Amino acid sequence: MTTVPLNIDSLVGAVLAPILGVVFFWFLQLIFIEIQKRMLSKLHHHHEAFCRFTNYIGILFQTICQALGYTVTRSGIASFQVTVNYGEVQPKKEKTGVLEWITRSFLLFGPFFIPSGLVLLASYFVIGKGFVFLIPVHFTFVESLTGFVVSLSTFANKFVSFLVTIDLFNPIHVGFLFVLLFLGFGIRPSYIGEKRKEKIDILHDLMLIKDHLVEKPLYILAIACIIYMFYLLSLFLNPMVYVGFFSIFGWMSLTAIIALLITYPVLILIKATDEIRTHWKIIPFITLVVSYVIARVFFIYYSTKQDESISLLVMILSITFITILLIKYKKTNRFKTAPKMKHMRIADGKKRTSKKRTD
Amino acid sequence: MVKKELLKNEQIERLLSPHPLSFMKLQALSIFVIVWGIMVWWLTNSSEYANMFSGNIWYRLILWGLVLLFVGVIASLVAIQWIIFFLYLGVFAGALGLIFWQHWEKDIALFIPLYSITVSLVGFLIVELYRRSHKYIITDLRIIFKGGIFTKRERTIRYDKIADIDAKQGILGQIFGFGTIIPVSESGFGLGSDKTMAAGGVEVGIKKARLFGFAGGGKEVQTPIARSYYELHGVYPYKDVKQLVENLLQTHVPTQYQKEQIEVEKQQVDIQTQMRDLLHKQMSETPRRKVGKQTIEEEPEEEEREEENTSMKKTFIPEDIYQPAQVDIQQQMKELLKKQKTARVLQPEENIEEEIEEEDDSEHERKKGT
Repeated sequence: MTTVPLNIDSLVGAVLAPILGVVFFWFLQLIFIEIQKRMLSKLHHHHEAFCRFTNYIGILFQTICQALGYTVTRSGIASFQVTVNYGEVQPKKEKTGVLEWITRSFLLFGPFFIPSGLVLLASYFVIGKGFVFLIPVHFTFVESLTGFVVSLSTFANKFVSFLVTIDLFNPIHVGFLFVLLFLGFGIRPSYIGEKRKEKIDILHDLMLIKDHLVEKPLYILAIACIIYMFYLLSLFLNPMVYVGFFSIFGWMSLTAIIALLITYPVLILIKATDEIRTHWKIIPFITLVVSYVIARVFFIYYSTKQDESISLLVMILSITFITILLIKYKKTNRFKTAPKMKHMRIADGKKRTSKKRTD
Repeated sequence: MVKKELLKNEQIERLLSPHPLSFMKLQALSIFVIVWGIMVWWLTNSSEYANMFSGNIWYRLILWGLVLLFVGVIASLVAIQWIIFFLYLGVFAGALGLIFWQHWEKDIALFIPLYSITVSLVGFLIVELYRRSHKYIITDLRIIFKGGIFTKRERTIRYDKIADIDAKQGILGQIFGFGTIIPVSESGFGLGSDKTMAAGGVEVGIKKARLFGFAGGGKEVQTPIARSYYELHGVYPYKDVKQLVENLLQTHVPTQYQKEQIEVEKQQVDIQTQMRDLLHKQMSETPRRKVGKQTIEEEPEEEEREEENTSMKKTFIPEDIYQPAQVDIQQQMKELLKKQKTARVLQPEENIEEEIEEEDDSEHERKKGT
């Protein structure tokens, strides 16, 4: 059994450190969600179906979380309905008090953590050795925080390494990338719509959560007590468990943040293709596949240690180059800064000759 | 081209065809073949399990074919369409035939993904051709459905013959804004049934008792179902089309009140015809002066009927002058008037106003005539 020094740092500071870490990463996640929402709302006008699709994934996650809440509280599920515009779960029995509060907590917090938790589970099989916990020795605030951050940084390092070396010729890797994209598009719990009232922002989400927490302060006190008891228990049994438990929440947030970051280039690409001529919009997407395949085939004959990474780089650079080229073509008309004479003739309906006017 | 097929004074409201993604169920069959072909290629060449398949060249083909057929069986059971299984069986048999014919045994590793992609592309092409063969013409009188690649099929349904409308929109439909509308005719065309069968067998003690128990059952549910060329399959924009069809349906199908009115009017016409025949008969039987009297007396009676004063009529009707048959008809008329009166009470305000206006007009014309 470990010896715990009896001071404020070890009895209060060490308890708070991982909680603060989780809250920080969750806020970070909210900011990234908000950035994605802004990007999506700008796309809404031209890509209504795409926005409806992302709404659907978001509503699906939210509804599943609500259903999970009813299952955990043993309320039962009478009906489960998910459409593009709304999701609805009806319990068999309406429970009140703590159980109702827990169900509501699932609805409010669930969409941020539960889907990313599932992806985290999947990533364990794809990424492998990235899940590290530090054993505390001094039981201080700084040590707890360091332990939490080390767990997260190791995981982030492995995750990013995997993404940088992802093999798009491997169906499992491709499948995981799609799952990650799905999570990234659906993790935001609110709706993107044309109407102003439906554009729910980060403040709205936070207000809902604040109201939910302030509504029952006694429950918060009870949760704080339970957490503290859990900390004390972990000191006697295994000190690694407490920080490890919160590290899992941190990984969930990190998974969600990475998923959100992956969606940004996709959204930028979609936005960029809007600037290209109608029938040529597909060219960047074809380039995406073709450039990667060509690069990989090339590396079959001239193999290096970084085949996958270089192929990815080639793919990204090719798309960027082709897209910029096509946008430039549309904006400047065959890379000339001045508009063509032919177009000018059409515009004013007069033919121009080389003869100079006498007047 | 379409205008030639229209009836006289018929106007096209909308020309439609299915959305490109509306046949996703069929396209999914091709997508699966591609995905599985590539998966097999990866599994047997690049994955960590590749060594398992290096022993025999046929292992790859067996794995590919078995999973393909297994998925075919599952998909057939789920969709209740055994054609899916036979389709996959055909794909597998085609691969086997090609390998034996061209002696590609040594190149099976590369053959499987390439063959899968080729077959799937053909599949996509056929589905696209099938989709493009569909044409739906919504006119102001009817809906015309057309479809089929080799055998051209056509269905026409008039709005007054539509008994019910079933509309459905899947997830893809909700995202992309398309949906399916099935008009069910009065004869039940457009209605089908979902059948489920359950059966189980138990063999207890083969040597001892050799008992064999069997239990089975079936369930049939009536549901709106039709071939894609007999319904408005995957039409875009779904909401607008649905609204249009429902509006056209409303204008062509009479309401219950209108039906009752038609019935009453029919009876009225019948009675009036009988009255006329009776009068003709009387005119031919009685002297001219008496007939004249009767006709003079009849006219105020008609005016009174318009004023709905039935009690007064009784005093003026000289029943002894009429034949018993005529009295019967008059009795029927009274009953009919009563019926009309009760119907008017239930009639919506707008209709009452219209009818009052019509009555006023007819009264005015009648007065003019007299």
